[in-house]
Amino acid sequence: MRAAAPPTTPDAADLDAIRRPRDPVVPPSYWDVLERLLPDVSQPAQYVGGEHNQVVTPWARARTRWLLCYPDTYAIGQPNQGIQILYELLNERSTSLAERAYAPWFDLEEKMRERGIPTFSLEHHYPLWAFDVFGVTLPHELGHTNLLNLLDLGGVPIHAADRTLDHPIVLAGGHAAFNPEPLAPFLDAVVMGDGEEVVLEIDDVLRRAKEDRVAGRLADRTALLERLAGVEGVYVPAFYEPRYAPDGTLRATVPVHPGAPTRVPKRTVQDLEDFPYPQKQIVPMTETVHERFSVEIFRGCTRGCRFCQAGMITRPVRERRPETIQRLVTEGVADTGFEEVGLLSLSSADHAEIGDIARNLADVYEGTTTSLSLPSTRVDAFNVTLSNELARNGRRTGLTFAPEAGSERMRAVINKMVSEEDMLRTAEISFANGWRHVKMYFMVGLPTETDEDVLAIAEMGIKVYEIAQRHGRANKATISVGGFVPKPHTPFQWAAQDTPQEIQRKLDLILEQIKPHRGLRLRTNDPEEGVIEGLLARGDRRVAPVVERAWRLGATFDGWHESETLPQWHQALADVGISLEEASHHERGEHEAFPWDHLDAGLDKQWLWDDWQDAISEKALDDCRWIPCYDCGVCPGLDIQHDTAYTNPETRGPSLPILASGPATPASPAPLGGSPDLPTSAARLESP
Amino acid sequence: MRLRIRYTKQGRVRFISARDLSSVWERALRRAEIPIAYSQGFTPHPKVSFPDALPVGYASTGEYAELTLATDIDPGTGLARLSAALPTGMDITTYLVVPDGARRFAKYLQATLWDIAWEPDVDTTPDLVDDLRHRADALLASDAVEVVRHRPKGDRILDVRPPLVDVAVDPGDPSEPRAIFRAVLRNDGPTIRPTDLKVALDGLADHPLPDPRLYTRVAQGAVVDDGVVEALTQQVEPLTPGRHAEAA
Repeated sequence: MRAAAPPTTPDAADLDAIRRPRDPVVPPSYWDVLERLLPDVSQPAQYVGGEHNQVVTPWARARTRWLLCYPDTYAIGQPNQGIQILYELLNERSTSLAERAYAPWFDLEEKMRERGIPTFSLEHHYPLWAFDVFGVTLPHELGHTNLLNLLDLGGVPIHAADRTLDHPIVLAGGHAAFNPEPLAPFLDAVVMGDGEEVVLEIDDVLRRAKEDRVAGRLADRTALLERLAGVEGVYVPAFYEPRYAPDGTLRATVPVHPGAPTRVPKRTVQDLEDFPYPQKQIVPMTETVHERFSVEIFRGCTRGCRFCQAGMITRPVRERRPETIQRLVTEGVADTGFEEVGLLSLSSADHAEIGDIARNLADVYEGTTTSLSLPSTRVDAFNVTLSNELARNGRRTGLTFAPEAGSERMRAVINKMVSEEDMLRTAEISFANGWRHVKMYFMVGLPTETDEDVLAIAEMGIKVYEIAQRHGRANKATISVGGFVPKPHTPFQWAAQDTPQEIQRKLDLILEQIKPHRGLRLRTNDPEEGVIEGLLARGDRRVAPVVERAWRLGATFDGWHESETLPQWHQALADVGISLEEASHHERGEHEAFPWDHLDAGLDKQWLWDDWQDAISEKALDDCRWIPCYDCGVCPGLDIQHDTAYTNPETRGPSLPILASGPATPASPAPLGGSPDLPTSAARLESP
Repeated sequence: MRLRIRYTKQGRVRFISARDLSSVWERALRRAEIPIAYSQGFTPHPKVSFPDALPVGYASTGEYAELTLATDIDPGTGLARLSAALPTGMDITTYLVVPDGARRFAKYLQATLWDIAWEPDVDTTPDLVDDLRHRADALLASDAVEVVRHRPKGDRILDVRPPLVDVAVDPGDPSEPRAIFRAVLRNDGPTIRPTDLKVALDGLADHPLPDPRLYTRVAQGAVVDDGVVEALTQQVEPLTPGRHAEAA
């Protein structure tokens, strides 16, 4: 149970002086008190800042001051690209500054609460409560309790309704922000989609609002939120209310504040060339999960895997130019001293010019100790060729592929167009080329799955292991199996999530099957881990009290083995009166409203439904980069298009699989979030 | 070309662990474009070595590193570049081009001068200085002072007295009183840390000492009468001012 009180904050007049856009009072730095605690906590270097490429701006030099946060440990959060992009963009502005914060581990949090040390920034160790914006990325659902904890620890009321102009704006983004409803009471504003443009627009609004406040032209926090809601893509949850049918099902979430739009669109940057960031990447002084110079080589994916939220919500595909990638890498490696380069995207082998990109970079770093990696999981020979090219300097250790499902039928359902023959041939080529370890990702708990489909995972693993052994006794094969969690804005958003017991039964089936093949490794996660993720992924506002209750019962770091929070969550569900059966484990109907219907990821709901129906009837759909448009709704809705070299016939590579497509689905208008009998207001607020 | 370097680890960077120190240096070397040599073999490693690890949280003006370069550089300008590329608080203070046939670096680092510093406080510091002096006398007068070091694998009993060469208490000057306990410890034999010394001092009176503010490794080198002869510069780093001990 969370007992300790949050730290005390200055009174309104002092806060006002600290917040002033010009000639502010500088807030207290907590470095001196913190420094004394650090010898007695684990991995203290994560709390000190001071890394290469950290930006330290004097408080008085900026008029708007942001604290950007990844709500997990430094080791997990520091490499996040989104935070680093926004950090660089905001710090390039002469009128703004951005500092960074991460979640303190249990040992430090305890000492901070004992001594009244608030959530702090790494650059100056300034308190959270002093900043204008607390910008939090929600890359997944398992940081929600950490967010509440950071607010509370930072001297900020956890409920948006309790905040005034003397508190920071709590602004969320990231993939889990595409359904922010379980956090609605705690967030002031939410942005879906690409942050590059909108963060600067929000900063502009904020700067003017601060000047207006000094001049007495900003009445209260609601007035500030109204201005923020006037920025395209900014969703202010307080301006909306859910409407429920008598049986308790959600009918719609509707705007209840003058000027709030009926649907809030995601933001999309058309041309990645406009934002070649992050360039000055932070070089950590302690261990993190990815210590490398990373370049996002394209954004978006239209492979159309029906389970994949990232692929659906980041459409369309926008490629970075090869020469820009080359420049970012060579300048970045020289600047940071990193020895590893990561070429990131959702399916990096799909960049139209990936062959040239890989060859040119491999040429630059030939004979050096700099290694290149392509975290792509595409199952084909071309991927192996690319990996060979990138591993010119180094060892050919492991390759990872993602067939995702074991049987041909199951892969048609999820639209992962890989045949068993593809996988086995790819494994054959990998080992023949000297790679020593093939890892494969799979899921269980997929819609329509039978035990036969589950066992096919084991069979594919066994076959690949046999290939591995034929090429060398020391070769290895691993199958990694996770439990599927349905996500919003995907064709599988209607699907029922398997219970953890059912997932465990399926994992046991696989384990039993592979037992005689002792060299084949099986990696699984605890099936219980999907329970909280599933609840928060598709939950509505009625889940928010559960989040708060779980946190009050002591839950934080929900994704960590070191933190056993499931009992708190079950207690919280019971206390609030929410059934997991209702929330996660039943299939949803065609006309059921979703908590995210008023949040527009660009995808036509009818198209998603039709694709869900195609999934159930095992009909596959090809990638729209190389077939005609099937009207998912994104491109015309956002008035943008794919930006790839595939549109140029000269660069169309022969290595790309051109597969038979499923029947095209006719476009039909999307149902709007509100209905005529509910109060709605379609007009946008004027930007101030 | 081989270079031996003395550098500092002060301020925020004192929380970098010995485990993370190598990658911090390797990245700085790459940023400064120092042509470091790599080991041969399946996984080549840059030839940067640190003769001894400093516990996390300790400050130091007496850290050392040895670099083997693939090609010769002008050490003055090259190491200035490296010093600038290292994080704030890590500064290269001196270097030596290693002559052929030189003995291992560790052979030159026979003893360490340590500082244990308490927070200055006008009211309590003079009493603390007196208290430290009494404990210092008692420490030097004993033939053996055993302390228990608590470790996850089980407690260990250590005698701090054999490697202890000399101690002194530095009271600062009257306008700026302070309480610093200095000790020269031999590096051979079982490693005694200044935290072990602090535990030993705790046991030499009827009450434990307050928690020190900072432990600092000042310098390393050969033992002389009133301190250590620093390994690279051959200059004496004295135990004084405030020299206390009669015995040595």
